[in-house]
Amino acid sequence: MSAPSSQQILDALGRIKDPDLGRDVVSLGMIKELDVSPQGKVSFTFELTTPACPVRDRFKSQAEDAVGEIPGVTGVEVRMTANVRPAFMRPKPSEILPGVKQTIAVASGKGGVGKSTVAVNLAAALRQSGASVGLLDADIYGPSVPVMTGSRTVPQQSNGRLLPIDAHGMKLMSFGHINPGSEPTIYRGPMVGKAIEAMMIQVDWGRLDYLVIDLPPGTGDASLTLAQAVPLTGVAIVCTPQDVATDIAVKALQMFRKLNVTPLGLIENMSWYVCPSCGHRHEIFSHGGAESAAKRLGVPFLGAIPLEEGIREDADTGTPVVISRPESAGAKAFVEIASQVAARTSIQSFRQLPVINVH
Amino acid sequence: MDVDRERQVMEITWEGGSRSSYTAEQLRWACPCAECRGEAGMPGRLARLQTLSPAEMRIQDVTLVGQYALQIAFESGHATGIYTFSLLRHLVQ
Repeated sequence: MSAPSSQQILDALGRIKDPDLGRDVVSLGMIKELDVSPQGKVSFTFELTTPACPVRDRFKSQAEDAVGEIPGVTGVEVRMTANVRPAFMRPKPSEILPGVKQTIAVASGKGGVGKSTVAVNLAAALRQSGASVGLLDADIYGPSVPVMTGSRTVPQQSNGRLLPIDAHGMKLMSFGHINPGSEPTIYRGPMVGKAIEAMMIQVDWGRLDYLVIDLPPGTGDASLTLAQAVPLTGVAIVCTPQDVATDIAVKALQMFRKLNVTPLGLIENMSWYVCPSCGHRHEIFSHGGAESAAKRLGVPFLGAIPLEEGIREDADTGTPVVISRPESAGAKAFVEIASQVAARTSIQSFRQLPVINVH
Repeated sequence: MDVDRERQVMEITWEGGSRSSYTAEQLRWACPCAECRGEAGMPGRLARLQTLSPAEMRIQDVTLVGQYALQIAFESGHATGIYTFSLLRHLVQ
């Protein structure tokens, strides 16, 4: 039997649909370097839009099966790779954060729900999947990132720009690095905006697949500055399950909707607690509040994270739990949420930003 | 978004394909900034004025703000108005 043609292979692979992008993987340009040997051995590269792809393994086996069924195929080799695509199709590269492909904001409206913990672990999980990741701590008054990443160092300067701090393979910048120690930052609103802008413009972020931005609580200066300065790929909203937290999370989400920033979805933090002595599962702050709020608002629910001592301990000692205890339930929840976030951001690569032509 | 500085007209083609057209003069009088609109119960500049100088009503440049609005700079230097897309839709209704 003769070897199949490349077209036959592509026709077969064209029946595989990307569940998030809603199109087939061939027309999305994910199949590359296709080679068919005269003996019928087929090899190709399957290029995902994110290394944290939640359906990576399914795609691989679907591709192997689809090609394997074609008469004349004697072997299939699928090389899985990933290349994060920049958010939005735009005529010219952005002037602000030009090397950053995707900007993901983490917000909550309400304070104390674990925004920074989620942001740090989301960034670390994306890094672990193989992406290049930065983390910008936009909380000027209460920066938590330096402690949570064990990076209480002062940034170096080069050519008049600040170099982000390297920790756990990620690039970090926080006002806690710029103004370390116990000295408070006493700023009025407009200064907060300036400080956040400076952390985007005056920091040499270089090339990044993802820049995760940890926002302070509130629906004011910091969030507005950010949404005006860069076309954010999307925003993930963190809340705890009880009404007092979800109500404010909804406000934050609606603010970003008004600013045309895509809500990537809701994350429920401190969702449950398993008592280490009795093994019982307690729902201290209630449970399922974020999921029902997400349903009500028509946005994705990205997942729930348990309340674990380990998450807190590792945050205090400066190693995100996804790195220090990858087998814990908390770490697994973060990894799952990161891949959901990555899948949602991939969709944004196919959106067009408004084009302005002044002449 | 097409801004014709010679004719001083801005045209928007919306995602659905419909088109809206605005004169620079119309946009200047619709400026939503606090100085023009007033704040804290105080009337703004546009409520007090009857006329504006020609330079006030000529568009210099238009830039995108995040992904929700346009910032329009007029030749007079006035550029504090952030025109959200929803405002721009309302203006032509």
